[in-house]
Amino acid sequence: MSAPERPLLERRLVIVTGKGGTGKSSVVAALALAAAQRGRRVCVVETGLDEQVPRLFDPAAPPVGYAGRVIHDGVTALRIEPYAALAEYLGLQIGGRRVVELVFRNKAFRQLMDAAPGWRELITLGKVWHLEQQHEEGGAARYDLILVDAPATGHGLTFLDVPRVAVAAVRMGPLRRHAGWVEEMIRDGRRTLLLPVALAEELPVRETAELVERVRRELDVSVDRVVVNAVAPAPFPSDLADLDARLGRLPDDAPLAGLPRPATLAACAAHLRQRHELNAHHLRAIGRATGLPVVPLPYLPSGVAGPDDLARLAEALLAEPRECGP
Amino acid sequence: MSAPLLELVRSRHVLVCVGAGGVGKTTVAAALALEAARRGRRTVVITIDPARRLADALGLDDLGNEPRPLPGEVLASLEMGAGGELSAMMLDMKRTFDDLVERFAPDPQTRQRILSNPIYQHVSDALAGSAEYSAMEKVYELSQRETFDLIVVDTPPSQHALDFLDAPQRLIAFLDSRLVQLLVHPAFAAGRLGFRVFQRPAHGALKIVERVSGVAFLEDISEFVLAFEGMSEGFRERARQVRALLLGPRSGFVLVSGPGSRAIGDARRFLGRLESGGIPVAGVIFNRMRTWPEGGDPPAQVPLGGQGEAAVRSLAAAFAASEGESFPAERAARAAIEAVAGYASAVRRDREVTEALVAEAGGTLGFAARVPELALDVHDLEGLSRIATHLFPGEDARGDGT
Repeated sequence: MSAPERPLLERRLVIVTGKGGTGKSSVVAALALAAAQRGRRVCVVETGLDEQVPRLFDPAAPPVGYAGRVIHDGVTALRIEPYAALAEYLGLQIGGRRVVELVFRNKAFRQLMDAAPGWRELITLGKVWHLEQQHEEGGAARYDLILVDAPATGHGLTFLDVPRVAVAAVRMGPLRRHAGWVEEMIRDGRRTLLLPVALAEELPVRETAELVERVRRELDVSVDRVVVNAVAPAPFPSDLADLDARLGRLPDDAPLAGLPRPATLAACAAHLRQRHELNAHHLRAIGRATGLPVVPLPYLPSGVAGPDDLARLAEALLAEPRECGP
Repeated sequence: MSAPLLELVRSRHVLVCVGAGGVGKTTVAAALALEAARRGRRTVVITIDPARRLADALGLDDLGNEPRPLPGEVLASLEMGAGGELSAMMLDMKRTFDDLVERFAPDPQTRQRILSNPIYQHVSDALAGSAEYSAMEKVYELSQRETFDLIVVDTPPSQHALDFLDAPQRLIAFLDSRLVQLLVHPAFAAGRLGFRVFQRPAHGALKIVERVSGVAFLEDISEFVLAFEGMSEGFRERARQVRALLLGPRSGFVLVSGPGSRAIGDARRFLGRLESGGIPVAGVIFNRMRTWPEGGDPPAQVPLGGQGEAAVRSLAAAFAASEGESFPAERAARAAIEAVAGYASAVRRDREVTEALVAEAGGTLGFAARVPELALDVHDLEGLSRIATHLFPGEDARGDGT
């Protein structure tokens, strides 16, 4: 098992992937905050239908849209809307906004694009590449770190595989060249990291192992750790780990001031201990199945409700990854 | 239209479990199917991606794409009602799509041309919603066979709750689009649709697609569309029938959610999209609720207010009496009370957020059922049975199916 090659925040592009419900948007937001606090200029890229990250900084945040907006000191967020990105791309290629508008108003063109597979992923990654390439006048990169909240469906792998498919399918022309640039960026382990987010549950263990296996075998994208979100903390101090059993041994008529009866206390305590043990078991299983260091994030009972919660997650994210041996 | 969950399981023909990923939808779908089988119905549960051990328990060792009855000895242990059957299948989405092509292809050559076309190969797994649609296609196919009284289907997790209904429309719109027709046989399209009216913008669009994409891509598309053309009518009719089945009175949509803040947010969006799509939601099942051991709400004194120190002292005294002098009784008492107080507030919170969601939905939901968070993963029929017990409290399944 190898330790991560380089710190998380020293990549140019971190693609955060995970199934729905794993909390990958929280991971994106926490990383953005941590990087910005260390003086990095961060760009957060949303790819889903609903923007998640701006609301994690501020529950009342209005949508950022394709134009994007600064959502926190040092953090810009935007949502890549495929048609908007396509219009921008075609505008750059053809050099005339009016022609592009004309094409977009064409109903047949819309129908073709609505049904055509793959281009949404390609144009989204193309826009990410474009963001990565942007420079200030002095020559410094406009963004030090780009964080992509990858689509939740299909493990997010189809998403990353599209440039390769495009390079293979399109035999010539500018599209092929551009897809090649995008593919090069994704496969460059010094620039790009794929960061899988999982939960310490039975199904995600297997899914994460399959994801990592496919990434290694087919995609050749750098992946060096797995984030496991919402890990239930140990309910009791380690020397009192069997506290539920001890509660269960108390006589049921023990005089307790304003507390439920011992059997009820014991039942609650046993439930908390069992959930924690189950979580710990799956956490170890993820490490074993992937052969990667595991970064556990604490379970936050009320969800993520602002920068304080994000800071807690960020601290855990940037701690040295834990080796999870067999 | 509003009916309790038991009524749905007893009388509907199709139950579609929808909801975001990670809420235990597969487990809930399997538990609903189990209950129906116990009540004497011939039942099949279609799952997308079950956890390995649950798949094993249901006898799903591979992607057969066909329902398979649970082993007889397993069923015997489940005390099925008379006539009750339980089958399970794991959906192979690609294969379902291929089957559809096989059914509607006019001849073997066309079938082969389609199946080997690179565009088709991507369409069948990359067309947004094709996963969802192929699940619904399978439901329809099973429904036509009339070998099952009830089909319970676990939908793929999706942000687009309605993709499975829209996907065939999108495919048809694509096949019918004038641009596609023009690509395939421009002369014919020109004659039929009035060349002059639309030729210029479409031609411009084509030029741009060509310029940006290279030509081979367009050739593949034409090939695909030409091959598909004879099937378009079959697809269209099929899609209409699938939609009619799913939105008809014999089907019901059950929203599955967890009590976490993220899951509740997802559930709220799902409800909104289903409503705006004109799809009635039969009810909601909240899975993995934290519950108080004695049922109901935790007593009002937990977590403790001003009485905290007295509580710690009394529990510490009880520990000292039972565990002996060397035991750190006071520290243990504090740890126990803190943990239990935290759990009590989690229990209240879960109840409050789920009740708030039900209240927001107004009177549109026929039921709101709750399943407690279990201490262990559900990976066998006994676990499914426990979930069913929570979904159908106080109901004796056996007295019902006979």
